[in-house]
Amino acid sequence: MIAGHFGLAAAVKAREPQVPLWALMLATQGLDVVFVPLYLAHAERLVPVAGTGGGYGNAVIHADYTHSLVGAVALAALFALPALWRWGRRTALVLGAVVFSHWVLDLVVHRHDMPLLPGAPAGFPSVGFELWRQPVAAAIAELALVLWGTYSYWRAAVATTRTREPARLPRAYIAAAALLVSGLVTLGLDLLGT
Amino acid sequence: MPFFVGLLLFVVIVGWLDARLPWPRPRASAVRP
Repeated sequence: MIAGHFGLAAAVKAREPQVPLWALMLATQGLDVVFVPLYLAHAERLVPVAGTGGGYGNAVIHADYTHSLVGAVALAALFALPALWRWGRRTALVLGAVVFSHWVLDLVVHRHDMPLLPGAPAGFPSVGFELWRQPVAAAIAELALVLWGTYSYWRAAVATTRTREPARLPRAYIAAAALLVSGLVTLGLDLLGT
Repeated sequence: MPFFVGLLLFVVIVGWLDARLPWPRPRASAVRP
């Protein structure tokens, strides 16, 4: 799941307008951002499901550190720390929660590959509700998150701009449109397995 | 690739557009009455 995380972050922006959107977008992908260097270092890996090319939803993801329950909590705290220093407690709490939301949303779609403890030690279960086994349903769920996030953002952006600086209203529409296009492009690329 | 495209679109482009809207600013923890 990629686009769905961005959709959730956009919806959070509508509820917590003081949090910069770029920070929410970065936070919502925080676990995957850290996953990339670990993947390149072969500390975490993707294994295509047998008999598939490993496209949308067809991978077992051994992200045993970044996507473990404890690892996600730790990364959420790590991400929140600079925000606490720069923007205060509430914004830091929101950003930390958004980082952790990645684990919660991934829990819904992943196969049983999300460990509770970092490193997936033997004797502890790995979890995942496996919505990716139903790729159409998973894609619809992601699309719903993108549309919900865009609609929430659009309403909040227009209302705030109309109240504070009506002359900038066109910018609110442009930002909301860019959000929608970005979500559809990202989801489309993910579905195509590019 | 969709991950990196998504980061570019959402964090950089949409984030830049959003930063030009008159949202309330986060309060820095250092600011006290």
